[in-house]
Amino acid sequence: MNESDNDRQLAVEEQLAAEELDAGDFTLLNSLRAHYDEHDPVPDGLVERLQFQITLDALNTEVATLTQLDLAAAGARSATTEAVRTITFTSESLTTMVTLTPLGDGTVRVDGWAAPGAGIRVEVLLADGPRNTYADDDGRFVFEAVPSGLAKFALYVRHDTEFSTVLSPTIEL
Amino acid sequence: MTGGTVEDSLASRAGRLFAEYRDGDHAKLGDLVRVLTPILWHTARAARLDSATAEDVLQTVWLTLIRKSDTITEPRAVLQWLVISTKREAWKVAKNQTRFRPEHLESTTSDADYGDSIEDTVLRDESDNSLWRHIERLPERCRMLLRVIAFADRPDYAELARALGMPQGSIGPTRGRCLAKLRMALAQDPTWEHR
Repeated sequence: MNESDNDRQLAVEEQLAAEELDAGDFTLLNSLRAHYDEHDPVPDGLVERLQFQITLDALNTEVATLTQLDLAAAGARSATTEAVRTITFTSESLTTMVTLTPLGDGTVRVDGWAAPGAGIRVEVLLADGPRNTYADDDGRFVFEAVPSGLAKFALYVRHDTEFSTVLSPTIEL
Repeated sequence: MTGGTVEDSLASRAGRLFAEYRDGDHAKLGDLVRVLTPILWHTARAARLDSATAEDVLQTVWLTLIRKSDTITEPRAVLQWLVISTKREAWKVAKNQTRFRPEHLESTTSDADYGDSIEDTVLRDESDNSLWRHIERLPERCRMLLRVIAFADRPDYAELARALGMPQGSIGPTRGRCLAKLRMALAQDPTWEHR
């Protein structure tokens, strides 16, 4: 492209740029939108994940991540396995360790220890509702016979006058 | 879009939800997320972030909005605020990603690598394909602007152009340079037969 062509192109571009938006532009923008929607769509579940994060944030919730999973009899779990498992999960304010001992009757004994966790309230969230207990002065807590199944732990940590909630990942009891 | 009536647009819908949220209706924040996720997603992706990073950016931006919601004086400005924040956060993160190269900033070539390389998957419809090719040849700033405003409504264009740091007159009452460039390119392309 020589220089005068270039100038002409620029002049046309400038003129086009100064015109009001017309139907052709809206059609073009609609095509762009359809194009991006098709080829780079918003990922499935993104809206729900963002909403969930916002809810947790509103509750002052810290989501603890699993840091350790000791299986006494890894790979050999069945309904009758008497495997004792120890699970550790960590968040900003707490580290929590729970030892799960199957009692052989479809229930599990949970021995937990949260640090720093003196006197905090601990909840185990089960399919049929939550159960509550309080940690002792050393941060230890016990749930005697919890039905096995999926569960989460919620620990309520005091910061002066406010509480924050530490939520564990889902754990199979 | 003349006349003095309040035009319904993405920014005004977002503004209403945000105002209701700040007045104590917390569920409205979830609605706001639903309404604005597409435009913010494309704002983040226009900065060439991969999918997982773009998600993180959106999460950061929404949590920041909650913390700073009192600092937004005019609820209708919430869309603009979110687009600016998403763009800034996305560029900040992109700078730290090793695959980001400065030449992407003003790249006008069509072979620049594009996140998940969308153009590789686009080889079906000839018109669609040529539209894509011309989009890829636009300056980076134009590509971002057009991508973002394609997910908004006409009354929002000028505000969004400003939010994206484009000079005045980029788009709004007038067509602006980015759309002019694209239309010229398409007009000169015999394979473009949309109209």
